[in-house]
Amino acid sequence: MYKSLLQNFITTILAVFSVSLVLFILQVSPLEIYNNLFDGSFGNLDKISRTLLIATVMALAGFALIITFSAGLWNIGIEGQMLFGAIGATFIARTILGELFFAPVIIIIFGGIFGSLLGLLSAFLKIRFNVHEIFGGLGINFVASGLIVYLVIGPWKREGIASTGGTDLFPAASWINGFGESNFPVYPIVIAIFIFLLLFTLLSRTSLGLRLIATGANTDAADKFKIDAGKFIIYAFIFAGAIGGIAGSIQASSIHHKLVPGIAGGYGFLGILIALIAGRNLFTVVIISLVFASIMVGGVQLQLRLGLDSSFPYIIESVFVMAWLIIKASKVDAKLLRFIIKKEGNFE
Amino acid sequence: MSSLELTFITIVSMSAPLIFAVIGETITERVGIVNLSLEGTLLITALASFAVTIWTDSLYLGIISAGLIGGLIAFLIVLINFRFYINQIAVGFIFTIFLWKLSSYLGGDFVRIPGPYLDEISVPILKEIPFLGPVFFDNNILVLSSIILIPLSWFFLFRTKFGVNLRAVGENPSAADARGLDVMKYRFIYSFVGGVLIGIGGATFSLEVKYGWSEGHTLNYGWIALAIVIFGGWNPVRGSVGVYGFGILQVLSLKLQSLTIGFSQILPLIPFPLMILTLVLIQSANKNEGRWFPKPIRLLILGNQPQSLGITYKKDS
Repeated sequence: MYKSLLQNFITTILAVFSVSLVLFILQVSPLEIYNNLFDGSFGNLDKISRTLLIATVMALAGFALIITFSAGLWNIGIEGQMLFGAIGATFIARTILGELFFAPVIIIIFGGIFGSLLGLLSAFLKIRFNVHEIFGGLGINFVASGLIVYLVIGPWKREGIASTGGTDLFPAASWINGFGESNFPVYPIVIAIFIFLLLFTLLSRTSLGLRLIATGANTDAADKFKIDAGKFIIYAFIFAGAIGGIAGSIQASSIHHKLVPGIAGGYGFLGILIALIAGRNLFTVVIISLVFASIMVGGVQLQLRLGLDSSFPYIIESVFVMAWLIIKASKVDAKLLRFIIKKEGNFE
Repeated sequence: MSSLELTFITIVSMSAPLIFAVIGETITERVGIVNLSLEGTLLITALASFAVTIWTDSLYLGIISAGLIGGLIAFLIVLINFRFYINQIAVGFIFTIFLWKLSSYLGGDFVRIPGPYLDEISVPILKEIPFLGPVFFDNNILVLSSIILIPLSWFFLFRTKFGVNLRAVGENPSAADARGLDVMKYRFIYSFVGGVLIGIGGATFSLEVKYGWSEGHTLNYGWIALAIVIFGGWNPVRGSVGVYGFGILQVLSLKLQSLTIGFSQILPLIPFPLMILTLVLIQSANKNEGRWFPKPIRLLILGNQPQSLGITYKKDS
């Protein structure tokens, strides 16, 4: 435990070093960037609330992807599943249910159902027609985003105006509000913790989770143990879709309070990057989500203070992930760890 | 010049970048590599070609540098995959995000600068053919090359020894290795070649279709190209049919834009449901050798993806 933590720490340092190198090549000062990112994301309570809210959405996307990764699937459709969750949320908010005092609960549940329906579509295409989930998912993402554009300028357009600016705001009862002055996102965090515990139990404590992982590790071998791979692919997509959908509904009713085109904000794709680092480790998802969310939220400050493009956070994140994967694959971190431990041994 | 002729001239020249990208990716995937970075590669090469052209005042240097950058990106993806066994799709995905965002960062200085463009060259004799002449043979060098590339790449892939070997490596690398082919050499060389074509596709965007640079200049075209490669069943000719079909759809939408609000926003998404439909058709046709379908349709939908596509190659020793 201690050793693997130390090894991950070394990997992090090396990856941050690689990011700094790239920033240096792009002729910006890494220290200034990190300083502003930290200040912009954790500088005051408002910023912390914002960072935590974004981190929650990202972590949910990451959790969703861990399930599908465990089953050996590339759920690129996560972005679409989040979009569908937002559509589900908007659907409820626009009905009479949206006026009820427990509307947020229905919104979250419907977001989950909508997301899992889209997940199911990916699974159906894969199992019934052998359509690879990357291309199926990619196609579904675009169809989902097209559907939102259609809804926003068509049936759900604002009174008299058809613009891509979004639907009318949800009724106040449908908002998932935070607490206090800073809008501290208690409910989204509670939901994320609940799903974290659920997944933790599922993946490490139940035979369902074990079989899911077995399917992902080796489909043929799983077949020999009479594990029906198709069944677990369906389960994985339904679970992942539901969690993605919940993330989408949180974005709709907690961040935007309406449906806008591109409401997933690319967090689904960032979720894929997060899951690439995390492997099957839920704790790592939480930590990396916090880091990435602080980069996204702090990135606003980079724009304001340093005049840097809004693309900067993504550049930092993608370089970080690529560096992380290469460091892990080349085992540089493990070698360094052995070197450090040996040296410590000599001192004693 | 009739308006129909003008419409087709627009379609052919507008489709040129996608032709390069689709054929580049087809070659790459035929050798067993998925270059998922298309979206990012097109953006960064579109920017690079424009920037180099502005700096050096030479369009040809712009095109060459875009090609080299495209090739280099593809080479890096294969290298990282081969050296560290990191999944090609993961690497391609990370590259997509990185290059896309890098292009909007670096491109800031180039937004809305009036761009240079290529001179028309016309092929003597051929351009005299009614209709086909002006549409295909009275164009600039990039559009002209995109047209020539279609039969050329088909001939190379399916009628030459190199092409057979290339496809053998993509179908069954172990068998190809046993026959004495250097699998990794093939993969490096042809994904580089494919990357060069994709890069030229990016250059075609900023030097021919949408002069200059704007943020997200080629947005979504990378994904569209990936979709069309599948639609084309990994065949350059069928892929090009898909590209021109998409071009016709685009022109139609420009005409229909005034009639239906919002159609132009939905249009770029049409290739994606088509891609899913094609994959469904291909897979179900392959299950029963397409017995359900009449022969001409069978020709259009039969065909399978290269068997080792996207799988990391480890030499048995």
